[in-house]
Amino acid sequence: MSPTVFALWMLTVVLDTGGQLAFKAAASHPEAGDGLARWKHMLARPWIWLGGACYVFEFLAWIAFLSLVPLGRGLLLGSINIVVIMLAGRVLFRERLTPMRVTGILLVTAGVALVGIA
Amino acid sequence: MKRFYLIGFGALLGFDTLAQICFKFAGMHALPLQANLTWLLRLFSEPWVYGAIAGYIGAFFTWMSLLKHAPIGPAFAASHLEVVSGLLLSVPIFGEHISLAQGAGAVLIVAGIVCLARSESDADTPPAAA
Repeated sequence: MSPTVFALWMLTVVLDTGGQLAFKAAASHPEAGDGLARWKHMLARPWIWLGGACYVFEFLAWIAFLSLVPLGRGLLLGSINIVVIMLAGRVLFRERLTPMRVTGILLVTAGVALVGIA
Repeated sequence: MKRFYLIGFGALLGFDTLAQICFKFAGMHALPLQANLTWLLRLFSEPWVYGAIAGYIGAFFTWMSLLKHAPIGPAFAASHLEVVSGLLLSVPIFGEHISLAQGAGAVLIVAGIVCLARSESDADTPPAAA
């Protein structure tokens, strides 16, 4: 894997995770209320905008990444996002890691590692 | 109701797969890769990038209507299985070759996604029933 491809891959992971976490932070504010008030509350705070910006840049980074690697390989490598987002959810939002989840994380990681090394 | 799920999951997978194939075409047609406006203009002057956006929008609305009724576990799995459909379709569409390591990696990843989907289905006192 060339340094450019690796850097673009990591960039998509960082932007995807950042976007997901920002949307989670935007959506889970406890005093936000309901309906229109909730949306007003979300739009007045930076999280939803940060999430949107992450997604726009991720969109471009993902196209750039796929223009340099075969689609199949790119999709397999991109699966690591699932793992990183779940671990970040555990650290930042104290989401539970059950044995089944840990098994899933290990299997996906092993699969991505196998594709990445080969 | 079973048929509703099947069509819903199929549509989600279809939209996601369409988006990924369009992403690949969009990237190919915008080569050489440059970090500048010229690259962006090349990218957006081809139809493929709009196909990718359409696929994403379709997937978003399918996902939202699925989540109203379908359990989160299978929905989560279906939303990630474009890895497999994209890998398989890359052979006839882009003439790619699936290596042994990639096949084995795909099996491990799918097994992992199934585990993660089942952990969501078990409803182990989730913090928010998203």
